[in-house]
Amino acid sequence: MKQIRSYRGLRLEQPRAPSGLRFVWVAFLHLGLLATVLSAADRANSADRYAVSKGDLQAKFEYCQDCHGPSGQGYRGFSPIPRLAGQQTEYLKNQLQAFVEHRRTNNIMFNVAHTLSPSMIAALAADFRALNPRPLGGAPKGLVATGEKIFQNGVPDANVAACAACHGPDAQGSGEIPRLAGQLHDYIFNKLTNWSKERGLNPAKPDTAAIMSPVAHSLTRPEVEAVAAYLSYLK
Amino acid sequence: MDFRFRRTPHKTASEEHQQRFIGVVSLRLVLQSAVLAFVFAGAAHAEDAGENAVPAKELQAKIAYCENCHGTSAQGFHGYYPIPRLAGQQPEYLKNQVQAFVDRRRTNNIMFNVAHVLSPAMLSALAESFHDLNPKPLATAAPNELIAAGKKIYNDGLPGSDVPPCASCHGPGAIGEGQFPRLAGQLPDYIFNKLKNWDKERGQDPAKPDASTIMQPITHNLTDQQIKAVAAYLNHQD
Repeated sequence: MKQIRSYRGLRLEQPRAPSGLRFVWVAFLHLGLLATVLSAADRANSADRYAVSKGDLQAKFEYCQDCHGPSGQGYRGFSPIPRLAGQQTEYLKNQLQAFVEHRRTNNIMFNVAHTLSPSMIAALAADFRALNPRPLGGAPKGLVATGEKIFQNGVPDANVAACAACHGPDAQGSGEIPRLAGQLHDYIFNKLTNWSKERGLNPAKPDTAAIMSPVAHSLTRPEVEAVAAYLSYLK
Repeated sequence: MDFRFRRTPHKTASEEHQQRFIGVVSLRLVLQSAVLAFVFAGAAHAEDAGENAVPAKELQAKIAYCENCHGTSAQGFHGYYPIPRLAGQQPEYLKNQVQAFVDRRRTNNIMFNVAHVLSPAMLSALAESFHDLNPKPLATAAPNELIAAGKKIYNDGLPGSDVPPCASCHGPGAIGEGQFPRLAGQLPDYIFNKLKNWDKERGQDPAKPDASTIMQPITHNLTDQQIKAVAAYLNHQD
């Protein structure tokens, strides 16, 4: 150590950079630390599932299935609880966000949604997307043919657009547009007949719920039942 | 009585009855003709000014229905398929396409169902309404180099591939004219799909060839990359 100055008579020593082997060891430690920090940040941004511990994800996944049914196939609780299996990830994330912001009304889902971290939401969405159980079924089969017609062609005389134009010919959805295939028919019926009471509820923050509003209004109840029946059997 | 000095012919009872009858008939004829002329004039007027023949409420409802798929202000929408922009479209082109859907010369099941319930008056009114809309393009991000390449193809064509400049028919600003469609602001994936699938979707009745035959050789001679470039350029045109 080199003496370079004095302060109030004290001899101060300026520390020097480590040299030789010590330098290599210290540098290695610093680089290791940097690498750990950077990779953690990278992991959190890109492969979200790795930022969520396997145990946490598994627990949360089972918790969702408690209501949404084994393999997220849906469940007839007090009210029909929707199928999540195979759902479009962007749609699922958007709905959770809508619950959090009370743009979409459901008290139970508000409580579920606002404790989920973004990485947990991304991981859950990916896991549900990968599921593919058989549809739960239960709708009157006699309505299916009419429902298919409405789904593929719309009801031009009533200014109802063809569902297939946005939801796809197999009702698989795309991006922010939800999959409808295999959805519970009674859930579909409830949502369509209550659309404006439950969705797009913050006029200051209009969302994609506005797209479905005219459709929900223009469809008659029998038409909704028919489409719902058709969709509930699609794989 | 001296018959030579009678001024008015002496009518028999039946002659007089006949004359009165003709008079009445003539009056009726005049009145009926007048009514018919009025009605025809009204009908002709309705055909010229399409909107007047379609109640405003019905037109508004139909526009809202179209926009359900074609997007707010008909800017286009990325549904399961890319659904095209109708805003600012040339009315003649729009009407021709709707007719092509009805005749199944252009294949699209959803549009067939939409189109064949439209009355001529409603179609005219819709075409004029959409022509008047002018939202900003629903732009998809694209690299500047791609847009620049697309601009070159649009304005200069590809002489080596026998592709004429698009601008020669669609106009320098890509707003089209008459039967030539506006392309400015169109969805790029829609443009790509249409150009790639031209033969499968257009001019489907060989007995009734239509304007779609003009584009056929062009779609054949463009490569995928060239189509993407032109599509990106057009998507960003206001």
